[in-house]
Amino acid sequence: MKKFLKRLKHANRISFISLWFLLFLYLIAFLADFISPYPYDLQNREYALCPPTAPRVFHDGRVSLRPFVYGIEIVNPAFQEYAADTSRIYPIRLFAKGTERTLAGFLKTDRYLFGTGDEGKIFLFGTDLHGRDVFSRVLHGARISLSIGIIGVSISFILGLLVGGVSGYFGGKTDVFLMRMVEIIMMFPFFYLMLALRAAFPPNLSSVQVYFLIVVILSLIGWASLARIIRGMVLSLKEEEYVLAARSLGLSSFRVITRHILPGTFSYTVTALTLSVPGYILGESALSLLGLGIQEPYPSWGNMLSVTVGNLRILTGAPWMMIPGLFIFLTVIAFNFLGDGIRNVADPKNW
Amino acid sequence: MEKMLEIKKLEVSFRPAVGESVKILRGVNLSVGKNESLALAGESGSGKTVTARAVMKLLPNNMNFEKGEILIRDRNVMNLKEQEFRKIRGKDVSMIFQEPSSYLNPVFTAGSQVLEAVKGDGPGRKERTIKLLNEVGLKENVFYQYPHQLSGGMQQRVMIAMALINNPGLLIADEPTTALDVTTAYGIVELLKEMMEKHGLSMLFITHDISLAVNFANMIAVMYAGRIVELAGAGEILNSPLHPYTEMLVSCLPEKYKSGDKIKTIEGKVPDFRDLPKGCSFHPRCPYKKEICLREEPGEMKRGEGIVRCFKYGDFVEA
Repeated sequence: MKKFLKRLKHANRISFISLWFLLFLYLIAFLADFISPYPYDLQNREYALCPPTAPRVFHDGRVSLRPFVYGIEIVNPAFQEYAADTSRIYPIRLFAKGTERTLAGFLKTDRYLFGTGDEGKIFLFGTDLHGRDVFSRVLHGARISLSIGIIGVSISFILGLLVGGVSGYFGGKTDVFLMRMVEIIMMFPFFYLMLALRAAFPPNLSSVQVYFLIVVILSLIGWASLARIIRGMVLSLKEEEYVLAARSLGLSSFRVITRHILPGTFSYTVTALTLSVPGYILGESALSLLGLGIQEPYPSWGNMLSVTVGNLRILTGAPWMMIPGLFIFLTVIAFNFLGDGIRNVADPKNW
Repeated sequence: MEKMLEIKKLEVSFRPAVGESVKILRGVNLSVGKNESLALAGESGSGKTVTARAVMKLLPNNMNFEKGEILIRDRNVMNLKEQEFRKIRGKDVSMIFQEPSSYLNPVFTAGSQVLEAVKGDGPGRKERTIKLLNEVGLKENVFYQYPHQLSGGMQQRVMIAMALINNPGLLIADEPTTALDVTTAYGIVELLKEMMEKHGLSMLFITHDISLAVNFANMIAVMYAGRIVELAGAGEILNSPLHPYTEMLVSCLPEKYKSGDKIKTIEGKVPDFRDLPKGCSFHPRCPYKKEICLREEPGEMKRGEGIVRCFKYGDFVEA
């Protein structure tokens, strides 16, 4: 693993950076409750569509050692016009007090990583239509959007490896049956199949249920093409002499497949794995965008974006609402770079 | 005496992608007694490896059993299901192969592969493995090494350890020394002899090298075009070969040359299975051929402990 990282660093600088960027994203998603200055569903009605507040260090030509924010002055509440009130200064405190909430399911605390205490407001990415802090919501939304890729990919890869492995190893009628099944699944256009599957379930499910539903739907679609590729690789790998040797030792078919054949496909699968994570993130976004995914008030990057669709006032007047889109973009690109890098490094010909 | 392996009238056919199926083994009879070694010798393409893989029931998909019986420890295994036969593989009969480097999985350590072969759990599996590795002449650190870090001879020793870990009664060695250089091969042969003695092993030793066969085995079966043409003790094969083919093979041995002699070869080549000559399949290359050889196939005739298929020794025709 260490060697692998070293090789990745030398072979492909940008994918190495992507790896750290992704790890960083996963870390902040994991710590979202603690890092975000407000709960994701805390509404500040009077501050709807407030632009981002910038942390500052200069005031009246002097440098303040502690970063601070100005107070927000409501110029016109009807049209959501705000201005910075330079007479009020709120220093940004570490471990500031706020609304009490439960961390990790058991730790009750009213401390946040940073904040301005009770008086001032700090909206790093601005607020949405209900005055909720976009920064906090992006962090919480990252949990959904980032985990859906990993979980979905794992399920579909286990399915794909098993079906592909069995199909290629046994051949004959098993192969014909499984491959026709795969072709039937692949025949449907990805997006419509996703919509149809989602439509088959009741619309009024809880967020957790919807979350699992989406994972299952996405992975049920995703395994088919992988199974086909794995089957092709197994067809050639099963002729390797060490497979014959393993069989001559009396190992069971399952063991021969999982231990002696499938590891031979890993240089491909690891790459395909990282390259297909973006598909799941985008799939979730697409479902949420259409209102079929994660439901408000719980945030996901997709459903945060969905508010902006077709709303000209937001597009022109509150572009910070599209920040979740930027995160989707960065994550997808990082996964693609990482996959590219792994493909280069995992291929023994490039060592 | 208990027979470890007995093959009776085994016929195996090959089904090509196009065209009719072709018989590869045409009535092979063999038997290996307890703690005996039988060498199966013959040119490339005579059906030696197919015989071995038939015993393991690991024939390639395009080959089929046609007729005959295979008995392992006097138990007919021809009709056993794959699941049941799997219990026999590795436990009663195991196999080592020609090219050790490609028969070891490159992604696992040697030790874990030997360990994997152990049937059943039970404590001390690792200790047993390391002990056996020592026994086949390897140091303990080999346990943690990958196949590509080992030499060919060491790889073959790992294969032998893998094959012997469950104390099988019968070991099939399919040209275990072909891919090795002469000194390493000698070491492997000596090791196999030692293992036979220590573990009371029976051995079916497949080789194309008749001098190696004579050196190694008590009995030698000479195979030609999917048939055993002569079966005899090692001494008889070397000193008084019966079948013309054996005679020619033995006369080609370098030990028989005087200095200045030309290197002898057998004219012609192994016949194509799709187009076997009518009558005795060896007749196109045979210096003793008679009129009957062109028409009929010779049957198995008993000569002492062994058998021979040649009209030189009688007119017994294959049914």
